[in-house]
Amino acid sequence: MNLDVQSLRTFSRLAHSGAERAAGSLSQLTGIETFVKVTKIEVSTRSDVEREFREQDLVTVHIGFNGGIDGRTILAFDREEAVQLVDALVPGAADQPDSEMATSGLKELGNIMLGGFLDGWANYLDTSIDITTPTFVDIQTEGALEDITGDSGFRMATGEDHVLAFRNQLDTDDQQVGFHIYMLPTHDSIDTISNVAGDGGVGSVPIETFTSFSGMISDGAEQASDDLTAMTGMESVVEVSRLSFVPIEAVPMQLTDATRKGVVLEFMGTPSGYIAILFDEASADSVADALMPGMEADSAMQQSAIQEIGNIVTSGFIDGWANALETTIDISPPTYVDDIGSAIIDPLATELAQAQEYAFLIDSAIRTANDEFTCDIYALPNEAELREALDRLSVEAQSTQ
Amino acid sequence: MKVYTSTTTTTRSESDRTKVGIADYAVVSGDATLTTSGLGSCVGISLHDRESGVAGLAHAMLPYADGDATEAKYADTVVPALVRAMVEERADPNRMQAKLAGGSTMFEFSSADGSIGDRNVAAAKEALARQGIRVVAEDVGGNHGRSLELVASTGELRVRSAHVGETTL
Repeated sequence: MNLDVQSLRTFSRLAHSGAERAAGSLSQLTGIETFVKVTKIEVSTRSDVEREFREQDLVTVHIGFNGGIDGRTILAFDREEAVQLVDALVPGAADQPDSEMATSGLKELGNIMLGGFLDGWANYLDTSIDITTPTFVDIQTEGALEDITGDSGFRMATGEDHVLAFRNQLDTDDQQVGFHIYMLPTHDSIDTISNVAGDGGVGSVPIETFTSFSGMISDGAEQASDDLTAMTGMESVVEVSRLSFVPIEAVPMQLTDATRKGVVLEFMGTPSGYIAILFDEASADSVADALMPGMEADSAMQQSAIQEIGNIVTSGFIDGWANALETTIDISPPTYVDDIGSAIIDPLATELAQAQEYAFLIDSAIRTANDEFTCDIYALPNEAELREALDRLSVEAQSTQ
Repeated sequence: MKVYTSTTTTTRSESDRTKVGIADYAVVSGDATLTTSGLGSCVGISLHDRESGVAGLAHAMLPYADGDATEAKYADTVVPALVRAMVEERADPNRMQAKLAGGSTMFEFSSADGSIGDRNVAAAKEALARQGIRVVAEDVGGNHGRSLELVASTGELRVRSAHVGETTL
Protein backbone atom coordinates (compact mmCIF):
# COMPACT_ATOMS: atom_id res chain seq x y z
CA MET A 1 0.00 0.00 0.00
CA ASN A 2 0.99 3.63 -0.39
CA LEU A 3 1.26 6.32 2.18
CA ASP A 4 0.72 9.84 0.99
CA VAL A 5 2.01 12.97 2.60
CA GLN A 6 -1.50 14.27 3.23
CA SER A 7 -2.21 11.14 5.30
CA LEU A 8 1.01 11.65 7.21
CA ARG A 9 -0.03 15.22 7.99
CA THR A 10 -3.40 14.05 9.21
CA PHE A 11 -1.81 11.34 11.34
CA SER A 12 0.60 13.92 12.73
CA ARG A 13 -2.22 16.30 13.66
CA LEU A 14 -4.31 13.57 15.22
CA ALA A 15 -1.34 12.12 17.05
CA HIS A 16 -0.39 15.49 18.48
CA SER A 17 -3.86 16.43 19.64
CA GLY A 18 -4.25 12.86 20.95
CA ALA A 19 -0.97 13.20 22.81
CA GLU A 20 -2.14 16.49 24.31
CA ARG A 21 -5.34 14.84 25.53
CA ALA A 22 -3.32 11.92 26.89
CA ALA A 23 -0.86 14.26 28.58
CA GLY A 24 -3.75 16.32 29.97
CA SER A 25 -5.21 13.17 31.51
CA LEU A 26 -1.80 12.33 32.90
CA SER A 27 -1.61 15.78 34.51
CA GLN A 28 -5.07 15.46 36.00
CA LEU A 29 -4.38 12.02 37.38
CA THR A 30 -0.91 12.64 38.74
CA GLY A 31 -0.90 16.38 39.40
CA ILE A 32 2.29 16.66 37.33
CA GLU A 33 2.18 19.56 34.87
CA THR A 34 3.02 18.47 31.34
CA PHE A 35 3.74 20.18 28.05
CA VAL A 36 3.84 18.12 24.84
CA LYS A 37 6.92 19.32 22.98
CA VAL A 38 7.17 16.95 20.06
CA THR A 39 5.07 14.24 18.50
CA LYS A 40 6.93 12.29 15.88
CA ILE A 41 5.44 9.74 13.54
CA GLU A 42 7.37 6.76 12.39
CA VAL A 43 6.51 3.76 10.32
CA SER A 44 8.25 0.77 11.86
CA THR A 45 8.25 -2.93 11.17
CA ARG A 46 6.87 -5.17 13.90
CA SER A 47 10.27 -6.70 14.41
CA ASP A 48 11.81 -3.24 14.89
CA VAL A 49 9.20 -2.41 17.49
CA GLU A 50 9.75 -5.68 19.33
CA ARG A 51 13.50 -5.13 19.33
CA GLU A 52 13.05 -1.61 20.67
CA PHE A 53 10.84 -2.87 23.50
CA ARG A 54 13.49 -5.38 24.51
CA GLU A 55 16.49 -3.07 24.19
CA GLN A 56 14.97 -0.06 25.89
CA ASP A 57 13.25 -1.88 28.75
CA LEU A 58 9.78 -0.43 28.22
CA VAL A 59 6.66 -1.32 30.13
CA THR A 60 3.47 -1.31 28.13
CA VAL A 61 -0.29 -1.27 28.35
CA HIS A 62 -2.22 -2.78 25.46
CA ILE A 63 -5.76 -1.80 24.56
CA GLY A 64 -7.94 -3.07 21.76
CA PHE A 65 -10.33 -0.82 19.89
CA ASN A 66 -13.31 -1.53 17.70
CA GLY A 67 -16.19 0.27 16.07
CA GLY A 68 -15.48 2.69 13.23
CA ILE A 69 -11.98 1.30 13.10
CA ASP A 70 -10.58 -1.85 14.70
CA GLY A 71 -7.17 -2.76 15.98
CA ARG A 72 -4.86 -2.46 18.95
CA THR A 73 -2.88 0.37 20.47
CA ILE A 74 0.00 0.21 22.88
CA LEU A 75 1.16 2.80 25.37
CA ALA A 76 4.81 2.38 26.31
CA PHE A 77 6.86 4.07 29.00
CA ASP A 78 10.42 3.78 30.09
CA ARG A 79 10.32 1.51 33.17
CA GLU A 80 11.69 4.10 35.61
CA GLU A 81 9.47 6.88 34.34
CA ALA A 82 6.46 4.57 34.56
CA VAL A 83 7.26 3.83 38.18
CA GLN A 84 7.45 7.55 39.01
CA LEU A 85 4.23 8.37 37.20
CA VAL A 86 2.32 5.53 38.81
CA ASP A 87 3.68 6.54 42.20
CA ALA A 88 2.17 9.98 41.74
CA LEU A 89 -1.13 8.28 40.95
CA VAL A 90 -0.96 5.53 43.58
CA PRO A 91 1.37 6.73 46.36
CA GLY A 92 3.65 3.95 47.51
CA ALA A 93 3.58 2.08 44.20
CA ALA A 94 7.25 2.93 43.58
CA ASP A 95 8.23 0.79 46.57
CA GLN A 96 6.59 -2.25 44.99
CA PRO A 97 6.91 -1.73 41.24
CA ASP A 98 5.86 -5.32 40.46
CA SER A 99 2.84 -5.33 42.72
CA GLU A 100 -0.76 -5.61 41.59
CA MET A 101 -1.26 -2.06 42.86
CA ALA A 102 1.46 -0.68 40.57
CA THR A 103 0.37 -2.58 37.48
CA SER A 104 -3.26 -1.69 37.98
CA GLY A 105 -2.23 1.95 38.38
CA LEU A 106 -0.42 1.74 35.07
CA LYS A 107 -3.41 0.06 33.43
CA GLU A 108 -5.62 2.88 34.67
CA LEU A 109 -3.18 5.39 33.22
CA GLY A 110 -3.19 3.48 29.92
CA ASN A 111 -6.96 3.30 29.87
CA ILE A 112 -7.39 7.03 30.24
CA MET A 113 -4.49 8.12 28.04
CA LEU A 114 -5.28 5.76 25.16
CA GLY A 115 -8.99 6.47 25.50
CA GLY A 116 -8.26 10.17 25.01
CA PHE A 117 -5.94 9.40 22.13
CA LEU A 118 -8.55 7.32 20.31
CA ASP A 119 -11.32 9.87 20.94
CA GLY A 120 -9.44 12.21 18.65
CA TRP A 121 -9.40 9.62 15.87
CA ALA A 122 -13.10 8.87 16.35
CA ASN A 123 -13.95 12.58 16.07
CA TYR A 124 -11.88 13.00 12.97
CA LEU A 125 -13.33 9.92 11.28
CA ASP A 126 -16.79 10.93 12.46
CA THR A 127 -17.42 7.55 13.99
CA SER A 128 -17.37 5.94 17.39
CA ILE A 129 -14.60 3.77 18.73
CA ASP A 130 -14.92 1.54 21.79
CA ILE A 131 -11.94 0.37 23.76
CA THR A 132 -11.39 -2.95 25.50
CA THR A 133 -10.04 -3.61 28.96
CA PRO A 134 -6.34 -2.76 29.21
CA THR A 135 -3.75 -5.45 29.68
CA PHE A 136 -0.34 -4.88 31.22
CA VAL A 137 2.52 -6.46 29.28
CA ASP A 138 5.96 -6.59 30.82
CA ILE A 139 8.51 -6.88 28.03
CA GLN A 140 10.93 -8.71 30.30
CA THR A 141 8.61 -11.65 30.56
CA GLU A 142 6.36 -11.69 27.52
CA GLY A 143 6.57 -11.27 23.77
CA ALA A 144 5.94 -7.63 23.07
CA LEU A 145 3.43 -7.95 20.26
CA GLU A 146 2.49 -11.59 20.74
CA ASP A 147 -1.11 -10.79 21.56
CA ILE A 148 -1.43 -8.85 18.33
CA THR A 149 -1.63 -11.36 15.58
CA GLY A 150 -2.33 -11.48 11.92
CA ASP A 151 -4.46 -8.87 10.37
CA SER A 152 -3.01 -5.65 11.70
CA GLY A 153 -0.77 -2.81 10.69
CA PHE A 154 0.14 -1.63 7.23
CA ARG A 155 0.23 -4.47 4.76
CA MET A 156 3.42 -4.73 2.77
CA ALA A 157 4.31 -6.58 -0.37
CA THR A 158 6.91 -8.48 1.62
CA GLY A 159 4.23 -9.80 3.94
CA GLU A 160 5.58 -8.02 6.99
CA ASP A 161 3.20 -5.62 8.66
CA HIS A 162 4.04 -2.11 9.68
CA VAL A 163 3.22 -0.29 12.84
CA LEU A 164 2.52 3.41 13.15
CA ALA A 165 4.55 4.66 16.07
CA PHE A 166 3.93 8.03 17.70
CA ARG A 167 6.70 9.27 19.91
CA ASN A 168 5.91 12.05 22.33
CA GLN A 169 8.38 14.12 24.25
CA LEU A 170 6.93 15.85 27.28
CA ASP A 171 8.34 18.44 29.59
CA THR A 172 7.23 18.32 33.17
CA ASP A 173 8.22 20.89 35.78
CA ASP A 174 11.39 19.12 36.78
CA GLN A 175 12.19 16.56 34.11
CA GLN A 176 11.70 15.42 30.57
CA VAL A 177 9.57 12.34 30.11
CA GLY A 178 8.33 10.63 27.05
CA PHE A 179 5.76 8.10 26.08
CA HIS A 180 5.22 6.14 22.94
CA ILE A 181 1.91 5.19 21.43
CA TYR A 182 1.90 2.46 18.83
CA MET A 183 -1.11 1.89 16.67
CA LEU A 184 -1.95 -1.24 14.76
CA PRO A 185 -5.28 -0.84 12.98
CA THR A 186 -6.52 -3.82 11.00
CA HIS A 187 -5.88 -3.82 7.27
CA ASP A 188 -9.46 -2.80 6.55
CA SER A 189 -9.26 -0.01 9.08
CA ILE A 190 -6.07 1.30 7.51
CA ASP A 191 -7.99 1.57 4.26
CA THR A 192 -10.80 3.40 6.06
CA ILE A 193 -8.36 5.88 7.59
CA SER A 194 -6.48 6.41 4.34
CA ASN A 195 -9.68 7.01 2.41
CA VAL A 196 -10.66 9.77 4.78
CA ALA A 197 -7.20 11.21 5.41
CA GLY A 198 -5.49 10.81 2.08
CA ASP A 199 -5.45 12.96 -0.99
CA GLY A 200 -6.02 10.25 -3.54
CA GLY A 201 -2.42 9.40 -4.14
CA VAL A 202 -0.90 12.82 -4.79
CA GLY A 203 2.58 12.71 -3.35
CA SER A 204 2.13 9.14 -2.31
CA VAL A 205 5.06 6.89 -1.69
CA PRO A 206 4.83 3.12 -1.27
CA ILE A 207 5.32 2.26 2.37
CA GLU A 208 8.18 -0.05 1.45
CA THR A 209 10.10 2.94 0.13
CA PHE A 210 9.97 4.58 3.53
CA THR A 211 11.36 1.50 5.15
CA SER A 212 14.06 1.04 2.57
CA PHE A 213 15.10 4.67 3.08
CA SER A 214 15.02 4.04 6.85
CA GLY A 215 17.38 1.16 6.21
CA MET A 216 19.76 3.45 4.34
CA ILE A 217 19.72 5.86 7.25
CA SER A 218 20.59 3.04 9.62
CA ASP A 219 23.46 2.06 7.35
CA GLY A 220 24.60 5.70 7.28
CA ALA A 221 24.50 5.87 11.07
CA GLU A 222 26.54 2.64 11.30
CA GLN A 223 29.10 4.15 8.94
CA ALA A 224 29.22 7.36 11.02
CA SER A 225 29.71 5.28 14.16
CA ASP A 226 32.55 3.30 12.52
CA ASP A 227 34.19 6.56 11.45
CA LEU A 228 33.93 7.96 14.98
CA THR A 229 35.42 4.79 16.39
CA ALA A 230 38.25 4.86 13.88
CA MET A 231 39.06 8.49 14.64
CA THR A 232 38.79 8.41 18.42
CA GLY A 233 39.81 4.84 19.15
CA MET A 234 36.68 4.53 21.32
CA GLU A 235 34.25 1.78 20.41
CA SER A 236 30.85 3.30 19.65
CA VAL A 237 27.45 1.93 18.71
CA VAL A 238 24.35 3.37 17.07
CA GLU A 239 21.75 3.66 19.79
CA VAL A 240 18.99 5.25 17.76
CA SER A 241 18.48 5.81 14.08
CA ARG A 242 15.11 7.01 12.88
CA LEU A 243 13.21 8.60 10.09
CA SER A 244 10.18 10.44 11.35
CA PHE A 245 7.61 12.91 10.16
CA VAL A 246 7.06 16.01 12.29
CA PRO A 247 5.60 19.52 12.06
CA ILE A 248 8.54 21.75 11.12
CA GLU A 249 8.22 23.93 14.22
CA ALA A 250 8.57 20.86 16.45
CA VAL A 251 12.03 19.99 15.13
CA PRO A 252 14.11 22.34 17.35
CA MET A 253 11.99 21.41 20.39
CA GLN A 254 13.62 17.99 20.33
CA LEU A 255 16.61 19.61 21.95
CA THR A 256 16.85 21.35 25.29
CA ASP A 257 18.52 24.53 26.52
CA ALA A 258 21.73 22.63 27.26
CA THR A 259 24.82 23.86 25.43
CA ARG A 260 25.98 21.72 22.53
CA LYS A 261 29.18 21.81 20.53
CA GLY A 262 29.49 20.54 17.00
CA VAL A 263 29.11 21.43 13.38
CA VAL A 264 26.35 22.40 11.00
CA LEU A 265 26.59 21.67 7.28
CA GLU A 266 24.45 22.20 4.25
CA PHE A 267 24.03 19.48 1.68
CA MET A 268 23.16 20.14 -1.93
CA GLY A 269 21.61 17.75 -4.44
CA THR A 270 18.34 15.82 -4.54
CA PRO A 271 17.61 16.08 -1.71
CA SER A 272 19.30 19.19 -0.38
CA GLY A 273 19.06 20.07 3.27
CA TYR A 274 20.91 20.63 6.53
CA ILE A 275 22.73 18.44 8.96
CA ALA A 276 23.97 19.02 12.50
CA ILE A 277 26.44 16.81 14.34
CA LEU A 278 26.24 17.71 18.01
CA PHE A 279 28.05 16.71 21.19
CA ASP A 280 27.34 17.70 24.77
CA GLU A 281 30.23 19.63 26.31
CA ALA A 282 31.88 16.67 28.05
CA SER A 283 31.65 14.55 24.89
CA ALA A 284 33.16 17.32 22.78
CA ASP A 285 36.10 17.49 25.20
CA SER A 286 36.66 13.75 25.13
CA VAL A 287 36.50 13.34 21.34
CA ALA A 288 38.82 16.32 20.83
CA ASP A 289 41.25 14.88 23.39
CA ALA A 290 41.12 11.55 21.62
CA LEU A 291 42.06 13.19 18.33
CA MET A 292 44.98 14.99 19.91
CA PRO A 293 46.27 12.57 22.52
CA GLY A 294 48.66 13.96 25.10
CA MET A 295 48.20 17.55 23.98
CA GLU A 296 46.86 20.45 25.99
CA ALA A 297 44.28 21.52 23.44
CA ASP A 298 43.28 25.17 23.31
CA SER A 299 39.82 26.09 22.12
CA ALA A 300 40.91 26.76 18.53
CA MET A 301 42.45 23.29 18.32
CA GLN A 302 39.39 21.72 19.85
CA GLN A 303 37.26 23.55 17.34
CA SER A 304 39.25 22.29 14.38
CA ALA A 305 39.18 18.74 15.77
CA ILE A 306 35.39 18.90 16.06
CA GLN A 307 35.14 20.30 12.53
CA GLU A 308 37.22 17.46 11.18
CA ILE A 309 35.07 14.91 12.96
CA GLY A 310 31.94 16.63 11.67
CA ASN A 311 33.22 16.54 8.13
CA ILE A 312 34.05 12.87 8.14
CA VAL A 313 30.95 11.78 10.05
CA THR A 314 28.73 13.75 7.65
CA SER A 315 30.29 12.14 4.58
CA GLY A 316 29.92 8.68 6.10
CA PHE A 317 26.34 9.44 7.02
CA ILE A 318 25.21 10.85 3.69
CA ASP A 319 27.30 9.00 1.09
CA GLY A 320 25.30 5.81 1.62
CA TRP A 321 21.98 7.40 0.71
CA ALA A 322 23.49 9.28 -2.20
CA ASN A 323 24.68 5.98 -3.63
CA ALA A 324 21.39 4.23 -3.04
CA LEU A 325 19.42 7.14 -4.46
CA GLU A 326 21.85 7.17 -7.39
CA THR A 327 22.53 10.84 -7.00
CA THR A 328 25.35 13.12 -5.96
CA ILE A 329 25.01 15.02 -2.74
CA ASP A 330 27.58 17.76 -2.18
CA ILE A 331 28.43 18.87 1.32
CA SER A 332 29.39 22.41 2.37
CA PRO A 333 32.35 23.09 4.67
CA PRO A 334 31.39 22.59 8.33
CA THR A 335 30.46 25.61 10.45
CA TYR A 336 31.51 25.17 14.07
CA VAL A 337 28.81 25.85 16.67
CA ASP A 338 28.87 26.13 20.43
CA ASP A 339 25.46 27.32 21.59
CA ILE A 340 22.06 26.52 23.13
CA GLY A 341 21.08 23.15 21.59
CA SER A 342 17.59 24.06 20.43
CA ALA A 343 18.84 27.41 19.05
CA ILE A 344 21.34 25.58 16.83
CA ILE A 345 18.58 23.58 15.13
CA ASP A 346 16.12 26.49 14.98
CA PRO A 347 17.69 28.26 11.95
CA LEU A 348 17.88 24.99 10.00
CA ALA A 349 14.19 24.28 10.54
CA THR A 350 13.35 27.91 9.83
CA GLU A 351 15.08 27.90 6.45
CA LEU A 352 12.98 24.89 5.42
CA ALA A 353 9.83 26.30 7.04
CA GLN A 354 9.67 28.93 4.31
CA ALA A 355 8.54 26.24 1.89
CA GLN A 356 7.24 23.31 3.97
CA GLU A 357 4.95 22.80 6.97
CA TYR A 358 6.21 19.35 7.88
CA ALA A 359 9.62 17.75 7.82
CA PHE A 360 11.15 14.36 7.42
CA LEU A 361 13.55 14.35 10.34
CA ILE A 362 16.43 11.93 10.48
CA ASP A 363 17.94 11.57 13.91
CA SER A 364 20.63 9.25 15.10
CA ALA A 365 22.42 8.86 18.40
CA ILE A 366 25.82 7.26 18.64
CA ARG A 367 27.24 6.30 22.02
CA THR A 368 30.18 4.55 23.56
CA ALA A 369 29.42 1.77 26.01
CA ASN A 370 30.86 3.62 29.01
CA ASP A 371 29.55 7.07 28.06
CA GLU A 372 32.89 8.58 27.01
CA PHE A 373 30.90 10.42 24.42
CA THR A 374 27.51 10.66 22.80
CA CYS A 375 27.03 12.14 19.37
CA ASP A 376 23.67 13.21 18.01
CA ILE A 377 23.08 13.62 14.30
CA TYR A 378 20.08 15.53 12.96
CA ALA A 379 19.47 15.72 9.24
CA LEU A 380 16.69 17.72 7.66
CA PRO A 381 16.26 17.07 3.95
CA ASN A 382 14.02 19.30 1.87
CA GLU A 383 10.66 17.51 1.98
CA ALA A 384 9.66 17.84 -1.68
CA GLU A 385 13.13 16.88 -2.89
CA LEU A 386 13.27 13.85 -0.61
CA ARG A 387 9.87 12.74 -1.91
CA GLU A 388 11.17 13.12 -5.45
CA ALA A 389 14.19 10.99 -4.58
CA LEU A 390 11.99 8.36 -2.90
CA ASP A 391 9.67 8.34 -5.89
CA ARG A 392 12.58 7.55 -8.12
CA LEU A 393 13.63 4.81 -5.75
CA SER A 394 10.18 3.22 -5.80
CA VAL A 395 9.94 3.36 -9.59
CA GLU A 396 13.28 1.59 -9.81
CA ALA A 397 12.22 -0.99 -7.24
CA GLN A 398 9.09 -1.74 -9.25
CA SER A 399 10.95 -2.03 -12.52
CA THR A 400 13.40 -4.55 -11.05
CA GLN A 401 10.64 -6.77 -9.67
CA MET B 1 -3.97 24.32 7.20
CA LYS B 2 -4.65 24.33 10.89
CA VAL B 3 -1.74 23.31 13.06
CA TYR B 4 -2.49 22.51 16.65
CA THR B 5 0.65 23.99 18.19
CA SER B 6 -0.24 27.39 16.88
CA THR B 7 -3.89 27.73 17.69
CA THR B 8 -3.95 27.15 21.41
CA THR B 9 -3.03 29.71 23.98
CA THR B 10 -1.62 27.58 26.73
CA THR B 11 -2.51 29.53 29.82
CA ARG B 12 -2.06 27.36 32.86
CA SER B 13 -2.80 29.49 35.84
CA GLU B 14 -2.01 26.75 38.35
CA SER B 15 1.60 26.62 37.21
CA ASP B 16 4.11 29.38 37.92
CA ARG B 17 6.07 28.85 34.74
CA THR B 18 4.37 28.49 31.40
CA LYS B 19 6.40 27.25 28.50
CA VAL B 20 5.87 28.79 25.12
CA GLY B 21 6.78 26.49 22.27
CA ILE B 22 7.96 27.47 18.81
CA ALA B 23 5.16 28.99 16.72
CA ASP B 24 3.21 29.46 19.92
CA TYR B 25 2.22 32.21 22.33
CA ALA B 26 0.82 32.46 25.83
CA VAL B 27 -0.53 35.03 28.26
CA VAL B 28 -0.21 35.05 32.05
CA SER B 29 -0.61 37.46 34.94
CA GLY B 30 0.08 37.71 38.64
CA ASP B 31 3.19 35.93 39.90
CA ALA B 32 3.58 33.77 36.84
CA THR B 33 6.43 33.71 34.35
CA LEU B 34 6.60 32.77 30.69
CA THR B 35 9.59 31.01 29.20
CA THR B 36 10.69 30.10 25.72
CA SER B 37 13.82 28.29 24.62
CA GLY B 38 16.20 28.20 21.74
CA LEU B 39 15.62 31.36 19.74
CA GLY B 40 18.03 31.25 16.82
CA SER B 41 16.64 33.13 13.85
CA CYS B 42 13.21 33.05 15.53
CA VAL B 43 12.08 36.21 17.28
CA GLY B 44 10.65 36.45 20.79
CA ILE B 45 8.03 39.17 21.23
CA SER B 46 7.25 40.17 24.79
CA LEU B 47 4.31 42.42 25.65
CA HIS B 48 3.51 43.78 29.08
CA ASP B 49 0.84 45.96 30.61
CA ARG B 50 2.17 47.04 33.96
CA GLU B 51 -1.12 48.28 35.36
CA SER B 52 -3.06 45.08 34.84
CA GLY B 53 0.03 42.90 35.35
CA VAL B 54 -0.76 40.96 32.18
CA ALA B 55 2.17 39.64 30.14
CA GLY B 56 2.31 37.88 26.81
CA LEU B 57 5.12 36.12 25.00
CA ALA B 58 5.25 34.89 21.41
CA HIS B 59 7.89 32.80 19.65
CA ALA B 60 7.56 33.48 15.92
CA MET B 61 9.43 31.51 13.31
CA LEU B 62 8.96 33.47 10.08
CA PRO B 63 8.22 37.12 9.23
CA TYR B 64 5.04 37.09 7.12
CA ALA B 65 2.05 34.74 7.00
CA ASP B 66 1.09 35.61 3.42
CA GLY B 67 -2.33 34.10 3.92
CA ASP B 68 -1.31 31.06 5.99
CA ALA B 69 -3.79 30.60 8.83
CA THR B 70 -1.29 29.45 11.46
CA GLU B 71 -1.01 32.86 13.01
CA ALA B 72 1.39 31.98 15.83
CA LYS B 73 4.09 30.96 13.38
CA TYR B 74 4.52 34.41 11.84
CA ALA B 75 5.66 37.69 13.37
CA ASP B 76 3.11 39.77 11.45
CA THR B 77 0.09 37.71 12.51
CA VAL B 78 1.10 36.68 16.02
CA VAL B 79 1.35 40.29 17.25
CA PRO B 80 -2.37 41.09 16.81
CA ALA B 81 -3.26 37.61 18.14
CA LEU B 82 -1.17 38.17 21.25
CA VAL B 83 -2.67 41.62 21.80
CA ARG B 84 -6.21 40.17 21.51
CA ALA B 85 -5.39 37.40 23.98
CA MET B 86 -4.03 39.94 26.45
CA VAL B 87 -7.06 42.21 26.07
CA GLU B 88 -9.23 39.22 26.98
CA GLU B 89 -7.26 39.13 30.23
CA ARG B 90 -8.11 42.83 30.74
CA ALA B 91 -4.87 44.35 29.47
CA ASP B 92 -5.09 47.68 27.67
CA PRO B 93 -3.28 47.92 24.30
CA ASN B 94 -2.59 51.60 24.93
CA ARG B 95 -0.50 50.71 27.97
CA MET B 96 1.39 47.82 26.41
CA GLN B 97 5.13 47.97 26.02
CA ALA B 98 7.07 45.61 23.79
CA LYS B 99 10.50 44.03 24.12
CA LEU B 100 12.16 41.98 21.43
CA ALA B 101 14.85 39.33 21.56
CA GLY B 102 16.27 36.84 19.09
CA GLY B 103 16.44 37.17 15.33
CA SER B 104 20.08 36.22 15.10
CA THR B 105 21.98 35.08 12.01
CA MET B 106 23.75 31.97 13.25
CA PHE B 107 24.77 30.55 9.89
CA GLU B 108 25.35 31.86 6.42
CA PHE B 109 23.83 29.21 4.22
CA SER B 110 24.53 29.40 0.51
CA SER B 111 20.92 28.54 -0.25
CA ALA B 112 19.51 31.16 2.11
CA ASP B 113 17.88 34.28 0.80
CA GLY B 114 19.32 36.85 3.21
CA SER B 115 18.90 36.70 6.98
CA ILE B 116 15.56 35.39 8.22
CA GLY B 117 16.53 36.67 11.66
CA ASP B 118 16.74 40.28 10.41
CA ARG B 119 13.47 39.93 8.53
CA ASN B 120 11.76 38.46 11.60
CA VAL B 121 12.79 41.43 13.75
CA ALA B 122 11.72 43.93 11.05
CA ALA B 123 8.34 42.21 10.63
CA ALA B 124 7.75 42.18 14.39
CA LYS B 125 8.51 45.91 14.60
CA GLU B 126 6.17 46.70 11.70
CA ALA B 127 3.38 44.68 13.30
CA LEU B 128 3.88 46.37 16.67
CA ALA B 129 3.90 49.80 15.03
CA ARG B 130 0.58 48.97 13.35
CA GLN B 131 -0.86 48.25 16.81
CA GLY B 132 0.64 51.49 18.14
CA ILE B 133 2.84 49.59 20.62
CA ARG B 134 6.25 51.00 21.46
CA VAL B 135 9.36 48.82 21.54
CA VAL B 136 11.12 49.86 24.76
CA ALA B 137 14.04 47.43 24.69
CA GLU B 138 15.61 44.85 22.43
CA ASP B 139 18.40 42.30 22.30
CA VAL B 140 18.36 41.17 18.69
CA GLY B 141 20.71 40.08 15.94
CA GLY B 142 24.22 38.78 16.39
CA ASN B 143 25.09 35.16 15.78
CA HIS B 144 24.13 33.40 19.00
CA GLY B 145 21.04 31.70 20.39
CA ARG B 146 18.88 32.98 23.22
CA SER B 147 16.36 31.69 25.77
CA LEU B 148 13.84 33.96 27.46
CA GLU B 149 11.97 34.35 30.69
CA LEU B 150 9.30 37.02 31.09
CA VAL B 151 8.16 37.97 34.60
CA ALA B 152 4.51 39.05 34.53
CA SER B 153 4.59 41.12 37.72
CA THR B 154 7.43 43.40 36.54
CA GLY B 155 7.62 42.95 32.78
CA GLU B 156 11.31 42.05 33.11
CA LEU B 157 12.57 40.00 30.18
CA ARG B 158 15.58 37.89 31.08
CA VAL B 159 17.67 36.89 28.09
CA ARG B 160 20.03 33.96 28.55
CA SER B 161 22.70 32.81 26.12
CA ALA B 162 25.31 30.06 26.13
CA HIS B 163 28.38 32.31 26.06
CA VAL B 164 27.29 35.93 25.72
CA GLY B 165 26.05 36.20 29.29
CA GLU B 166 22.64 37.02 30.69
CA THR B 167 20.91 40.36 30.35
CA THR B 168 17.64 41.71 31.65
CA LEU B 169 15.61 44.00 29.45
